[in-house]
Amino acid sequence: MIKLENITKVFPSKNGDVTAVNNVNLHVKKGEIHGVIGYSGAGKSTLIRLVNLLEKPTNGSVSINGTELTSLPPEKLRKTRQKVGMIFQHFNLLKTATVYDNIATPLKLLGYDKQEVKKRVEKYLKIVDLAEKQNSYPSQLSGGQKQRVAIARALSQEPEILLSDEATSALDPETTNSILDLLLKINEDLGITILLITHEMNVIQKICDYVYVLEKGEVIEQSSSIELFTNPRKHTTKKFLDTISQRKLSASLISQLKLNGTVTRLTFIGENTGQPLLSQVSQKFNVEPNILTANIMELKNGIVGNLVIHLVGEPEQINASLQFLNEQGVATEEVEGE
Amino acid sequence: MEAFIQEWLPIIGQSVIETFQMVIISLFFAILIGVPLGILVVLTRPGQALANRFIYQLLNLFINVVRSIPFIILLFFILPFTKFLVGTTIGVQGVIVPLVIYTAPYIARLLETSLLEVDNGIIEAYKAMGIKTRQIIWNVMLREARPSIILGLTIATVSLIGATAMAGLVGAGGLGDLAYRFGHLRYEVDVMYATVFILIILVQGIQSLGNRLAARLKKD
Repeated sequence: MIKLENITKVFPSKNGDVTAVNNVNLHVKKGEIHGVIGYSGAGKSTLIRLVNLLEKPTNGSVSINGTELTSLPPEKLRKTRQKVGMIFQHFNLLKTATVYDNIATPLKLLGYDKQEVKKRVEKYLKIVDLAEKQNSYPSQLSGGQKQRVAIARALSQEPEILLSDEATSALDPETTNSILDLLLKINEDLGITILLITHEMNVIQKICDYVYVLEKGEVIEQSSSIELFTNPRKHTTKKFLDTISQRKLSASLISQLKLNGTVTRLTFIGENTGQPLLSQVSQKFNVEPNILTANIMELKNGIVGNLVIHLVGEPEQINASLQFLNEQGVATEEVEGE
Repeated sequence: MEAFIQEWLPIIGQSVIETFQMVIISLFFAILIGVPLGILVVLTRPGQALANRFIYQLLNLFINVVRSIPFIILLFFILPFTKFLVGTTIGVQGVIVPLVIYTAPYIARLLETSLLEVDNGIIEAYKAMGIKTRQIIWNVMLREARPSIILGLTIATVSLIGATAMAGLVGAGGLGDLAYRFGHLRYEVDVMYATVFILIILVQGIQSLGNRLAARLKKD
């Protein structure tokens, strides 16, 4: 559906060229939700603008549904863009137009007749749950409502793809959740493929099938979100995970605990909580497991549990119990005191 | 008081009509030239839809040069041009050309400022929807800038009224000329007060009309 190959974007500047996006490959299949996560300045916004060619790539190819965009003449590019909806952090609505006109104006400009425009505006306002606000102006709406209007505007062109540029970054947590639910609904009911960028790990957690971690313009890690949550490899990825689960313990606490054992993080997929396994461990081996932190994260495609335990016992007993846990499909990782 | 009104009303009335004529006609042509000029300055800016460094700087230079010349100088400076264009250099007709040339670049600048205030994000959103640049100019940029454009045009109109005061120098009449000729040269102080009073009312009225219109269009 969306395919970026070896995409590089260089911005010339007075102090030398700045490579905002470096050799990125990305492939979003039909019906999936992919997320790109990264800190400010990682090149996320540039990356998503390269997909619909709001930014022209310096190198590489962009194709949507098998059509190579970089070589398209302007007229054809416009036609392709109509099939790619986009929503933004700051909503980008006309301030001087009502909710109705905000959705109707682009449709009119794209040449739909009056009845079709009216039909679509009403249909999509209903989908985003704002039918009663059609005569309000954006300034009279809350942030979440504005984003819903923007989503309705994007949907009204009946795109196959939706690009989301930090769509929830300006919203409070509760509103973020309701917008994420809406995006999931759109994905499931209308079959729209979504590519989003974000700096919020909970967005990835809640709706993404696949994740790319972007740092300094490069994809440093990419995998299905379950894999990323259970087996993060890069430091940056782990830092992002720390933002949603209480994974961190103080270094002094860890060193203290390590005097008579080991501190280990157990990660497991699915609903089987660690509890029965831990009691088995304490029965089978001469160790005493102690839970330090525990949490369960619901991802779009499954549940990931995370336990940090303190194992007290002889080193060989500890090793044997860790091996046993591995055999049971639980990933173990020693937690370092910094 | 009554005698004063009887004596001066026809003369003042005539002047008011002349002022209105000059303002309305020159404003019309100044908008006709200034608005496209302002749009062009914005669109040829680096990074905009029709980015063209050469045209952008040329337009900027042109606007700055014209705006540097005080109206009273401009009036005489372009006499040959005025003659060529309208066949005369005197009367209301003769003063329209310099008034337009004086006001159009000013309107272009004000329009440029208004258009640049339009959030780039919304323009980008429309681009992303595959909408033509021409349509974006009309339906997004000019639309969103309307309140600010109205205020800009109000400022331009007020400054135009000021400029018409000098029109008397080429025999075009108007309120300014009346105040100068009778009030200053002939020490008819009452006439001066009366015209100044009318000018104040006029400017006040235009400004509040502009403010009200802008407020109605502004929805945030």
